[in-house]
Amino acid sequence: MTLASPARRARTTPPWWFMAPALLLFAFVVLVPSARGVYYAFTDWDGLDPHHSFVGLGNFADMVRDADAVQAIWHTLVIAVSITLVQNAVGLLLALGVNSAIKSRNVLRVFLFAPAVVTPIVTAYLWRNLLGPDGAVNSLFGAVGLDSWRQDWLGSADLALWAVVAVIVWQFAGYSMVIFLAGLQSVPQEVHEAAALDGAGPVRRFWSVTRPLLAPAFTINLMLSIIGGIKLFDQVYALTGGGPGHATDTLSTLIYKDAFTLGEFGYSIALAVVLTIIVAVASTGQYAVLSRSERAAS
Amino acid sequence: MSPAFFLRKGDLMTTRTLTAVTAAATAAVLLAACSGGTKAEGGGGGDRTLTLASVDQGSVEDVVKAFEKANPGVKVRYTTSGADQYQQQIRTQLSSGTAPDVMSVWPGNGNPAATYVLAKPGYLRDLSDQPWAAGLPDAMKSVAQYEGRTYNAVFGQNGIGAVYNQQAMAKAGLTPPDTWTKLLAFCRDAEAKGTPAFALGIQDNWVTQLVLYSLVATTVYGPDRAFDQKMQAGQADFTDSPWTTALEKYLAMRKAGCFQKNPLGTNYEASQQLAASGKTLGIIQGNWVIALLKGKNPQGTFTLKALPATDDPSATLIPAAAGAGYGVNAKAKNPELALKFVNFVMSPEGMNVLNKKQGSLPTLPDTGYQADPALTELSKFIETNRTVPFMDQLWPNPKVQQTMLSGLQEIFSGQSTPQDLLKDMDTDYKAGS
Repeated sequence: MTLASPARRARTTPPWWFMAPALLLFAFVVLVPSARGVYYAFTDWDGLDPHHSFVGLGNFADMVRDADAVQAIWHTLVIAVSITLVQNAVGLLLALGVNSAIKSRNVLRVFLFAPAVVTPIVTAYLWRNLLGPDGAVNSLFGAVGLDSWRQDWLGSADLALWAVVAVIVWQFAGYSMVIFLAGLQSVPQEVHEAAALDGAGPVRRFWSVTRPLLAPAFTINLMLSIIGGIKLFDQVYALTGGGPGHATDTLSTLIYKDAFTLGEFGYSIALAVVLTIIVAVASTGQYAVLSRSERAAS
Repeated sequence: MSPAFFLRKGDLMTTRTLTAVTAAATAAVLLAACSGGTKAEGGGGGDRTLTLASVDQGSVEDVVKAFEKANPGVKVRYTTSGADQYQQQIRTQLSSGTAPDVMSVWPGNGNPAATYVLAKPGYLRDLSDQPWAAGLPDAMKSVAQYEGRTYNAVFGQNGIGAVYNQQAMAKAGLTPPDTWTKLLAFCRDAEAKGTPAFALGIQDNWVTQLVLYSLVATTVYGPDRAFDQKMQAGQADFTDSPWTTALEKYLAMRKAGCFQKNPLGTNYEASQQLAASGKTLGIIQGNWVIALLKGKNPQGTFTLKALPATDDPSATLIPAAAGAGYGVNAKAKNPELALKFVNFVMSPEGMNVLNKKQGSLPTLPDTGYQADPALTELSKFIETNRTVPFMDQLWPNPKVQQTMLSGLQEIFSGQSTPQDLLKDMDTDYKAGS
């Protein structure tokens, strides 16, 4: 029996038909239903009546005229961008903090990560009470004499969207922290020491040593938060239901309402197609930019 | 993020094992999926099994038990769920042919599982020949029928009004107002005593409509009982009708301090807490809230009264309507048993069990039902024909109601005006079914 050399083994590609079972299954449960789903975006199907007519791009044209849809797309983008920025900034700061030599760092890591393992719907119901007019947040402001800070956080059209963002950052900053922390711990201590010997201060060391080596962690974190932010549904639905009025409706909550409350399945699927396109464009674009800077950094 | 992210390349043994396990698992799943059909048919117990999907959580269980007892050997396989979840599930089941024999169906139109919506594409069996169908009062017939045929076994009705916490009222030394002028004075007095009149939890948007419906009943339908027919014929619209007056009165109540602070941040649950604990004197809600208030404050006494909207107490009307009833699947696997179950629901025994548990009132007369004393006024209004159906039950599509619900939230949060809301509702109404 002759053993192939490692180099030869690496070049051997398995026969393509090895993929067939997985591919078939994937086609059966993902590709075919999705394609069929997309077809309905061009119909006026109500989700119930087997008869429907083809309306071409009618649903997409309606979307442009539908103030609620335009507003929901705007909210989705605002939420995605602000979550991506704030969650990662907070996550990075927390990671830097618990990566230092402070004594309680292990306990802190656990506490800071804990919210991320709770189901989003539970978190949302918890915060719905905490942010209520007589909830803990307002009581706290009252107790420390900041009565003017007491607000109807989820009931005010101006504040509700930001309250939703704050709750999501609270829940997932620890998640970003863990990924940054893993990146930070892979930065070799020697590089830091060498930089310190060369006279670099802490800020310079972070910028020139840590930051470039964290590039993969940035890529993952930014990708995850932007996709999560665009698709956001459960937290918004449980916290505000998209209200007051449509002040916190996102594409996902609107898709749900249009389909299951109003029975406008065709229109709702058209919205879902738009959502898919936004996610695809945002994530591919972001990936291209970040992986280029990742390569430049390494 | 998947754990695969942390895997290193080249651990061939692990990968191979994993592939084998995955392949085996996939095969098992596929085989199980293929054999599913026969298995269900073989193990279903023949034609002695009835399938049922219901939204009557907490009350249908007792009916099922009684039905099984009355029909030895019969097994009812049932599922219960909340209204939102149910409405999406039943549509999917009906369009894929997997719906149960008997299912909850809402009266009239205006929601995804309402009588008109399901009867129109032929999903419901005609129940007109059943013994109870002819006995339904006219107000019930209008929402249980579609094009003159009965499709919905509506068993209970609910009313909306001001539910007062008697202890809190006694403490404040106030009595329920029966005219509009007295209502505003009542609100101001209550506020002066530091206990707002009514809890309003409109963070949950369905709650926004209840006060408005109470006011619309008297202001719109008081002068014109045929308002719906005129709307349907295109001879009336929301904008140029007393709906404007009703909306103004809703906002006048808000201005007079009838509701606690920050209603938009208060949810349904929190509003019950306020009324049950006496932090407000009452709550404007459906009669179903009474059982919930008693659950939160078992010592409390709660009474439902009509909400006045004019200064003539005899002109006051209450919005009262059938709640969700039961329909029979047109393609039921066991039609005889399905009809038997629906007829049991409409029998005095079934009807009394359901209504007692739900705190509602029976739709058929002479069932020997002992109504909760809290509902004396509602029963009186029903008996004397001083009720009108919930407005949305006769609207042509669900969008009108959804526009109203989010629009009311927008008015309360300063994003919209009553004129804009009624205009939008007219647009949606005219879009038809």
